[in-house]
Amino acid sequence: MQFKPAGDSALLIIFGDRIDEGINKKVHAVANAIEKASPDWLIEVVPTYTSIYVYYNPLKLSYQEVLDAIKPFLSAEPKEEKPRIVEIPTVYGGEFGPDIEFVAQHNGLTTDDVIEIHSKPLYRVYMLGFTPGFAYLGGMDERIATPRLEKPRLKVPAGSVGIAGKQTGIYPIESPGGWRLIGRTPLRLFTPEKDPPTLLQPGDYVKFIPISEEEFWEIHKREWGEQK
Amino acid sequence: MIELINVQSLTTIQDLGRYGYQKFGIPVSGVMDEVSARLANYLVGNHDNAPLIEFVLKGPTIRFHSSAVFAVAGNVDVRLNGIPIEPWQSHWAKRGDVLEIGALKSGVYGYIAFAGGILCDKILGSCSTYLRAKLGRALKQGNKLKLGYAILTGKEGKVLPEALIPRYSNESEIKVILGPQLEHFTEKGIETFLSSTYEVTPNSDRMGYRLEGPEIEHSEKGADIITDAIPLGAIQVPANGKPIIMLADRQTTGGYAKIGVVARVDVPKVAQTRAGGKLRFKAINVKEAQELLRKREFLFRNIKRLLDGEVRGYKIKALGEEFMIFVEKEK
Repeated sequence: MQFKPAGDSALLIIFGDRIDEGINKKVHAVANAIEKASPDWLIEVVPTYTSIYVYYNPLKLSYQEVLDAIKPFLSAEPKEEKPRIVEIPTVYGGEFGPDIEFVAQHNGLTTDDVIEIHSKPLYRVYMLGFTPGFAYLGGMDERIATPRLEKPRLKVPAGSVGIAGKQTGIYPIESPGGWRLIGRTPLRLFTPEKDPPTLLQPGDYVKFIPISEEEFWEIHKREWGEQK
Repeated sequence: MIELINVQSLTTIQDLGRYGYQKFGIPVSGVMDEVSARLANYLVGNHDNAPLIEFVLKGPTIRFHSSAVFAVAGNVDVRLNGIPIEPWQSHWAKRGDVLEIGALKSGVYGYIAFAGGILCDKILGSCSTYLRAKLGRALKQGNKLKLGYAILTGKEGKVLPEALIPRYSNESEIKVILGPQLEHFTEKGIETFLSSTYEVTPNSDRMGYRLEGPEIEHSEKGADIITDAIPLGAIQVPANGKPIIMLADRQTTGGYAKIGVVARVDVPKVAQTRAGGKLRFKAINVKEAQELLRKREFLFRNIKRLLDGEVRGYKIKALGEEFMIFVEKEK
C-alpha cells in the first residue's frame, strides 16, 4: 500500500498497479469501512480500480493526522458475499447500435457473433465515475475489441451500449461520445431522485440480455414514462 | 420572488457543491469562485452554503416581485432602477424594483446573493446546477425564483471593506502541490511546468481550463494512468503535453496523469482568469497549503462576524504591509 497527498484536501491510497479483481475488492472493502465509520473530518471517499481518494476537511485534520486516522480501516477485508447480478436488457444493432456492423467487420465476425460474444460474460463493475452512473466494466472478450470513433458523436442517447478498445460500457445519460455503439438498454442507469441514484454499484456483475425492439419500448415506458 | 427579465450569459443557481456522490460518478459542481460567492452571502447575512446566482462575464437583469436584500459580487457596474449602486454592498429592493448588472470589468464569474438564499428543490442534497446531467437548469428570461425567508431589517447597507474585496488579475502565480502522478513526468517536464507561463485558452468552462504553453514531457510511463479520481484543481497532462486544470464541473474520474493539484486557496484565482490570461505555477507542500487555507478561513470567520456586526474591523499599516484587524465590540 502506498499513500500520497493529492492536493491539500485529499489522501490517495494506492493498493496496486494493475486492474485486478482481488485488488479492486480490497479497495471497496476499505472504502466501505471508512465510509461506515464516517468520521467528522471525512468529506467523501471515491474508490477506483486500484486506489481510494479520501477527501477530507483540512481544517479539522492535517494530512499527517488523516494518515494516522485511516490506519484502523486498512485491514478491512472483502466480505465473502454472493455478488449481485444485474441483468441489462439490450437491443443490439439497427438504430440502437449503429456501429455493430463495423465492430463485426473490424474483427472478421458476423453481427450475430458480436451479440453472442458481448452478451455471454458476467462483467464486473470495478468502479463508477466519469459521468453520473457510468460503470467501468471489466471482462470483455478481446475478440470484439474495436477502436473508438475518430470523430465522437455530439449526442449519444442514454442507455447506449458501446465498445472502446478493450472496454465495454453503457452511457447513463445523453452525452457526446466516441464509443462504437452496438446496442441500447431501456433501463435508467441514473435516477437523481433515488438514493442510491445509480442502478449499478461497485462490485455488481452485469449480464447483457438481448431483447427485441418491442420489449425495448415496453420496458422503456415503464422506466422513463413518456420521456424519450 | 424575483424574475429574470434579461439573461445574456450562462447563469445558474449554485451553492458550495454536491458532496457524497462522486463515487456514483456525480460531479461536485458548485460555485467556481468560493471566495466571491461566500462574501456575497455574508453581505446579506446568509451562511456560506446559501444558494445564489452565478453568472459568466455579463450579469442578468432582475425584477423583484417582493422586498429583498441582495448583494452583487464582482468588478461590475450595477444599477437599481437606473441608479448606480455599489457591488460588494448589501442593498434593499422593494416590489417592482429592477436590478441591472453590467459586464464584469475583470474576472469571469460574478454572484448575486439574496438574504434567505434562493429556494430550490435540492437534488442529492444540493442546489448546485450540473447541466450535463440536467441537475438544475440554465436560467432563462422569464424564470421566477423564490427566495428563502429572512428578516430583512438591518441586513441592508453592509459594506465589505475595500481592502477585503478580491482583485482578480489576468496574470497570476498559482500555488500547487505536486503529484500525485509525478512519476509520469520527466524532471525536465516538471521543470518546464514550474518555470513556464501558460495561457488560459477559450476552450475553458466550468469543467476545466485548458492551457496553452510549452509541452510538459512525460516519462516512459506516458500520459495515461489506470483511471482514478480527480480532485478539485487537479492538473491533468494528456499526451499532447498541455495541462488542463479541472474545476467545479470536472468529471469525478479520469485517465490522464496529474502533475499537480492547485492549492484550494488559489482555485478562485484560476477560475477568475479569462481566456488569454497567464498563469505561472509555484510548488508548495501540503502543510503550507493547509496553513494558508486555515488563515483564509480565520479571515473569513472574522469577515462574517464583521458584517454581522459582532466585531469592528480596522485596516492598519505596519512594516509597509497592510493588515486587517478585528476587535470585539463591547457588550
